[in-house]
Amino acid sequence: MLTDEQVAQRLGEGRLVEGPDYASESYVKGLARTLVVSGDTELISAPAYLKAAAHAPRLQSYISVVGIIQDELGHAHIAYRMLRDLGVDTDELIYERDPSDFRHPYAFDVPLESWSEMVVANGFYDRAGFVLLSDIFEHTSYGPWKRALVKVDREETFHLRHGEQWMKTLAADTSAHDDLQRAVDWMFLMTLEWFGLPDDLKRHREQIEFGLKGKTNDELRQTWMSTAVPFCESIGIDVPAHFDAERGEYVIDCPFPQQFDEAGKRWLTEEGEVSWDEVLERWRRRGPANEELVELIQRGRLELARAA
Amino acid sequence: MTAATVAEIRQALAETLDPEYPVGLVDLGLVRGVELDGGTARVEIAYCSLGCPCIALIEADIEERLLRLEGIERVEVREVFEPWSRRDVSAKGLRILREAGVG
Repeated sequence: MLTDEQVAQRLGEGRLVEGPDYASESYVKGLARTLVVSGDTELISAPAYLKAAAHAPRLQSYISVVGIIQDELGHAHIAYRMLRDLGVDTDELIYERDPSDFRHPYAFDVPLESWSEMVVANGFYDRAGFVLLSDIFEHTSYGPWKRALVKVDREETFHLRHGEQWMKTLAADTSAHDDLQRAVDWMFLMTLEWFGLPDDLKRHREQIEFGLKGKTNDELRQTWMSTAVPFCESIGIDVPAHFDAERGEYVIDCPFPQQFDEAGKRWLTEEGEVSWDEVLERWRRRGPANEELVELIQRGRLELARAA
Repeated sequence: MTAATVAEIRQALAETLDPEYPVGLVDLGLVRGVELDGGTARVEIAYCSLGCPCIALIEADIEERLLRLEGIERVEVREVFEPWSRRDVSAKGLRILREAGVG
């Protein structure tokens, strides 16, 4: 293993890290943390989407969502394989972890319960995945991950297009428009929240310092809005953000962050802005679908073990 | 303006890209027939697999692209259940797929 200084020097020479032997302990720790979040996010999207696929209005759309789920599981497989190569016991990680210890964003712990919510997930959540993974692909200093990600963004592009195509169709249909708007109303802020603490509150800096990712949380949030907001505007769907030409960036037009009413699936805008500590507290509690989704992943292995 | 020809429809299909990989539908070997009947363009497509998750997107892309051609008022995309394999992909298509990490 190398020291942090040796790693920094090699990175400064433009070299990629090709495995734990060429990294320091804190580099590996930071990398592992990033990989667990990525793997868990992709993995948990599978049962979340599978439940929502039941609302597909056509056989062809059911096939599309199932195809998306297969891609997501493949992406999860990449992240866990990288972790295994770092010496992590991934069977234990996936099958023996408590649901509340999974690191996927809180957004997936709020169940998707209609076709509108399914396609907004493709249009918003998969766009967030695309933004985050593109950044990692472009900037990561970890060679094996960079090479494994070549295909991933192509697949996320298809998920995103599936979401946009359907959002456009539902927005133009007077009987479906309001239902789509309701899904966007809770899922837009949910995705903004996904990118995490604003830069001035962020505690872990090793992701940027070690070149594990390139853009900061606020920059990634801006990148996401730079395509999500104009897209929603183009199909006549309202979102609480707009481009401020003077500041040259997207501005959120409502209190942010806010508290979320899980049962009513709505933001408590009337209560105004809350602190990020309150948001972190809600994330730590996890959302209503957390246990069910993790159980859907873990159940088969447990049943087999019991039968043996 | 003169109405579009079958050759122009083929060219438009060649420029229509697969939803995942930046390869045109002709290079991918999916286009199995093109017919022009007045203002109606009829296209026959074989998909890479029966459970291809991109069928609806590819159909929508074909329709959107061909309707931009002069004199095309209607587009009919018909799925043909013909076999497809990597041998149907052009040399250019294979090169692009390799760059994207496939094949």
